[in-house]
Amino acid sequence: MKRTDGLCLSFTALFCVLAIASTTFLSGYTMFVLSRQVAFYVLIALAQAVCLVVGGMNLSVGGIGNLATVLLGLCIERWQLSPWLAVAVALGFGCASGFANGWFITRLRIDSFVVTLSMMFLLMGLRSGISGGQPYALPESFTFVGQKAFLGIPCVFWISLAVLALIAILFERTVLGRHLIATGTNADAARLAGIPTDRMIVIANVLSGFLAALAAVLWASQLGSATPETGDTWLIVSFAVAIIGGTGLSGGVISASGILLGAGIFMLIKHGLVELKANPYFANAFLGALILLAVAIDRLRDLFGRTDPRRGD
Amino acid sequence: MTSSLVRHRIPLACALAIAVTVVGVKALRREAARPALVWYGNAVHPYITEVRSGVEAFARDTGTPIHCTVGQEWTQDNQNVNVEALSTQGYRGFSLYPGDPAGANALFRLLRGRDQKVVVYGAEPALPTPALFTVATDVKKSAMIAAEELIRLMGGRGRILNLLEAVTDVNTRKRDEGLREVVAQHPDVQIVQTLSDMMQMGEATTKIQSALAARAEQIDGMIATGFNPTVAAASLLTEWHKDPRHKRIRFIGIDTHPTTLQAIRDGAIDATVAQNPFGHGYVSCALLRLLDEGWTPIEEYQFIDAGLVIVNRTNVDTYADAVRQITDRILLDMKSKCLAPPQPGTPRP
Repeated sequence: MKRTDGLCLSFTALFCVLAIASTTFLSGYTMFVLSRQVAFYVLIALAQAVCLVVGGMNLSVGGIGNLATVLLGLCIERWQLSPWLAVAVALGFGCASGFANGWFITRLRIDSFVVTLSMMFLLMGLRSGISGGQPYALPESFTFVGQKAFLGIPCVFWISLAVLALIAILFERTVLGRHLIATGTNADAARLAGIPTDRMIVIANVLSGFLAALAAVLWASQLGSATPETGDTWLIVSFAVAIIGGTGLSGGVISASGILLGAGIFMLIKHGLVELKANPYFANAFLGALILLAVAIDRLRDLFGRTDPRRGD
Repeated sequence: MTSSLVRHRIPLACALAIAVTVVGVKALRREAARPALVWYGNAVHPYITEVRSGVEAFARDTGTPIHCTVGQEWTQDNQNVNVEALSTQGYRGFSLYPGDPAGANALFRLLRGRDQKVVVYGAEPALPTPALFTVATDVKKSAMIAAEELIRLMGGRGRILNLLEAVTDVNTRKRDEGLREVVAQHPDVQIVQTLSDMMQMGEATTKIQSALAARAEQIDGMIATGFNPTVAAASLLTEWHKDPRHKRIRFIGIDTHPTTLQAIRDGAIDATVAQNPFGHGYVSCALLRLLDEGWTPIEEYQFIDAGLVIVNRTNVDTYADAVRQITDRILLDMKSKCLAPPQPGTPRP
């Protein structure tokens, strides 16, 4: 049985239970809003997963989302730049933040936890200081990607599918992807084999920053405003979806299809809690239990699994 | 071909199971009765609990079924996920607090596009908004009234410690502006320091006691325009004023946490601004019900000031009656001032 088969079965079970239990679950509108949210979860989880795969982590995904959003808003509302240029600035900022994380981790040999935790506070503080909590208005045309659909499916979902496909190709078909996985599997062995592991860690962090900034831009497009608090809740989601999706916490394992299914399962559970009117005071307890369960399954899979540990599927 | 099918048997079986469920459920399901109204609280918070008491009172008083639910986190994205899920269930009206004043408008637009009416409570969204009404405290006016009261208590002169709650909340900025405008009108009054970002009680306590330790002699009055700094300051000033060597620091806060009220009774602090969260819940649901019955707003968008009462030692045990009277007055005026009656022949839901 492949790693993703278990996720497939869980997703199917949840989908069927909700379809039977709820009168509105199968409506086109429900599918639209759920798939749009799944798209964001996918991007946020990928931002975490690409760091996990090289044996690190990125606690600053939300912070990058915060400041990328503020920069986007500043560029469009205050500096009157073209939205295309503003998006480029926001994405460029994401890459630069990721590069800074990678530089500190590899050059100064500081643990990724410490570097990205500090970066998270730094970026969140800058967000508050620069914006003063004030959201920035975006032009109506900017909401096209975030609010519209193509062939009945939200544009953001198409974008996240395209990103997933590129990530899958990167890790399964390219030398760079193999080097990233090798770095996370055993950094010492990879270094001895001639792989520039420091460069791999920097690349993973740059990619992570880019994906976090992309999620922020798309979220702003959905909201129709650049809201400084964007990203405040991403940290737990990024870990939860990545881990549920089969990304190994100890590095070297990533699965694009697993992350898609993980995001779907995460979304179905959140939606299910609302649909089935679960006690909202316990909602975070459900989520916490889910993450713990996912980590436990991941550990058991490592202990007893017979699959190739280098690949998610 | 066969080996590929065998290799992918589980995903294929899952896809088949989903297809069968979709087809089966659609064929068997009959049209369910449409529910009516929903009230959504952003997260577990004393303010939300008080708003909910107003919603439940309205449901009880009028026999209107209202689905009440509370989110997990006080953020716009969490609200979007939850409210979009509720929206899919066909509710006709929503009473919502804007998680983010600008970002919430996208959610409101989405609901309005589905002919689901939105009445906002607690804070005004960014304008223009697709919401039909906001029932809330006028936060700037409230801060200005509180500031005038504090300056009066200080004898028209002195230095103020300004305590703000969430710097990412646009209402905090409005409150800050209100205070600064009032201070600017009094040449003998100045703000000695502003403390902010106090979303948790522990954080607020740490910051305020640091300020007291560092410059108590420079502080003649303190004003808090958020819930957490108010409770923290009430608690700290109760302790502070027990020591006869400490100077008297005048204080006015916001909301009616038991610690704050007890500090007023004890004379440790001077006053607090009682908002009308009960009314935020009650009036927003009353509006939704009338809209659901076919009443139409007389303007595209209207702000209904839910009012406030300054609570001090003289009315600390009776202020709730005054707040309730404000709600009753709003309800009395609502049909005549904000809404037009349904046209004859308008189909009732």
